[in-house]
Amino acid sequence: MSRSDVLSLYRRVLRIARSWTAQSALPHDTDTERKYIAQEARTLFRQNQQITDPESIKRCTEECEARIEIGLHYRNPYPRPTYLPPMGLATQKGRKLRAQQRLRKQAKPVYLHSHDET
Amino acid sequence: MASRALACCVRSVARAPARLNHGSVLSRSACAPLAPKQRPLSVLSCSQRPRWTQLVRISGPSVHQCRHYGDLPPLTLENIEERVMYVLKLYDKISPEKLQSSSHFMKDLGLDSLDQVEIIMAMEDEFGFEIPDAEAEKLMTPAEIVQFIADKKDVYE
Repeated sequence: MSRSDVLSLYRRVLRIARSWTAQSALPHDTDTERKYIAQEARTLFRQNQQITDPESIKRCTEECEARIEIGLHYRNPYPRPTYLPPMGLATQKGRKLRAQQRLRKQAKPVYLHSHDET
Repeated sequence: MASRALACCVRSVARAPARLNHGSVLSRSACAPLAPKQRPLSVLSCSQRPRWTQLVRISGPSVHQCRHYGDLPPLTLENIEERVMYVLKLYDKISPEKLQSSSHFMKDLGLDSLDQVEIIMAMEDEFGFEIPDAEAEKLMTPAEIVQFIADKKDVYE
């Protein structure tokens, strides 16, 4: 994964943003979604600019490509939410907190890694 | 048949009495008979003769033949340079005072490679043609961009 590959990926996302049409074909939605794609790409790429660990870089590029493919397939640029894994919520007592967190982190798909879990 | 329609329109336009002086209507009415003759527009303008006579005023026999083909003004080196500088000044991470034709994006203006990608995308939008990745990475100063676009668009030096 070299610098030029990452830049090509960035350019690819921006080109997709330029020619995007929303599923509903309303001009307002198209506009909003285009801005969202460009904005999201900018913030995420800048946020992860300083990463030097090759594995994290690989995970980030996988996330980017997965989101591109999913977005193009479903015509929906927003991240696709998933269900919580079984036994994924922490108990009242907090004893099983770490196990729950581990389960949740493991079950999180690659294209949701930058997504906030709130 | 089309030439007959054309002749009818020109005669109707020339015979219109002088009432009001609408400059834009004049140019439009002069151009309309000269539009592509297959269109029914010229036939329509004949039938609208009574309405036109109140609006149109022709000064003498001078009906200007104006053909505006839908094309952009021809590109010159100064024009390209001007447009490139204009787009760069609009970019918010560049301060317009420091910007010169030979200022390097990374060394002089302190931008990084993501910004350079965004700038090249803005240039693609401005000039309306795609710049391939391999060449886009090498464009690091406004002068290089101008040179590249001039090469692509065959603008003589």
